[in-house]
Amino acid sequence: MKIIPYILYLFLIAFYVTIFSDFVAIYGVTIDLVVFLVVAVGLFKDEIEATWFGVAAGIVAGATRLDLMPWDVLTIGVIAFAANQMGTRINLESLLSKIIVLATAVLLHGIVQTLVISADNFFYVLLRFVMPSMVYTVLLGVLFFLIKDGRISWEKTKALF
Amino acid sequence: MTWFWTVFHRNRRLLNFGLEIFLIILIVFSGNTARPFLGNLVLSIFHYPFAELKESIEGLHSVAEENRNLKNILAESNLQRGFTEEARRENIRLREFLGFDPPENFTLVPVKIVSLEQNRYPYAAVINKGKNDFIDIDCPVVNRFGLVGKVKETMREFATVQLLTDPSNAVSARTVESRQIGIVRYVPSEGMIFDNLPADAVIDKGDQIISSGLGGVYPSGLSIALVDSVLANKGEIKKQVWLRPNVNFNEIEELFVLKSVGK
Repeated sequence: MKIIPYILYLFLIAFYVTIFSDFVAIYGVTIDLVVFLVVAVGLFKDEIEATWFGVAAGIVAGATRLDLMPWDVLTIGVIAFAANQMGTRINLESLLSKIIVLATAVLLHGIVQTLVISADNFFYVLLRFVMPSMVYTVLLGVLFFLIKDGRISWEKTKALF
Repeated sequence: MTWFWTVFHRNRRLLNFGLEIFLIILIVFSGNTARPFLGNLVLSIFHYPFAELKESIEGLHSVAEENRNLKNILAESNLQRGFTEEARRENIRLREFLGFDPPENFTLVPVKIVSLEQNRYPYAAVINKGKNDFIDIDCPVVNRFGLVGKVKETMREFATVQLLTDPSNAVSARTVESRQIGIVRYVPSEGMIFDNLPADAVIDKGDQIISSGLGGVYPSGLSIALVDSVLANKGEIKKQVWLRPNVNFNEIEELFVLKSVGK
């Protein structure tokens, strides 16, 4: 198991949580990069790597709020495991199936976070932040999966012009 | 030892899950010990470098903002300093002018120049007081150096001053020393001259020229100019005298209208 890429992913999560999320936020809606990375690893790597990365990502993401850390670790760990299990059962060639997994994971993470922080105005937060965040993350996911599958490449983009 | 590795490899998946679940339980249930330790460790390794970077960027941003504010304050201060300096200079000029006593039966009405009419040299000025302030036509106008001109036209709130540099404005004058009387006027091609002076008149360079009081417009004794040069050609009936005006007409600012007390 190569550990360095995962450490770099963890640094990416820390960088995103500390600095970058503010820059990409649109009216308070941000990309759920933690879940995105965890799902990406879960879909394409083996079970042990995926689950350990899920737990580690939960710890890194939850370190800024210790009271939420258990929930983050638990949710993201479960998402990593579930994404890995789904990855063995779905057609990974299909963009839609990967996007559905990603969207479900982001939605689940958002719902758990909303319920843990405050159940008041749950539906407002769900519609105002969680759902748009899911859409935003899915857009990033579509781009990522298209690039990963080679459907978008530098050569193809260059050929357009 | 071989037995250990065999068991480990056979149950690798279970062991990993067991460790993960143990870690999660540790995080969930040991709120005051494991969680702060883990949080501190993760923050110092992963988050701290980026937090420092963010702080530095924000610091740079605030320094740039502060620099902009300080530049604005500096510009305002410079402007204020300019105003203060100008007020100080005006104060000095006015203080100097306090030593100037108006002629008998005249009072000084301070005025400011609104605009200066000029064609190569200034010849008329518009001042900020007029009929409403009882400024009349032909009132003499002076500054702290001497005679500047006279009021030519009056409006309700403004008046026009005909400066001594206007060729049509002639002043009856005399020399302070020899009391020779002549006419001071401005000739565009020659400058200010002292005209109508007989050839035998006693006059030297540096003599002071003052108003004579003849003619009924200007009171006597107002300083006008100094003699700059004298030319007495043989056979001429008049002396040619060039003057250096006391007033620099390009730099006039505060003026005083001499208003007759009786009027």
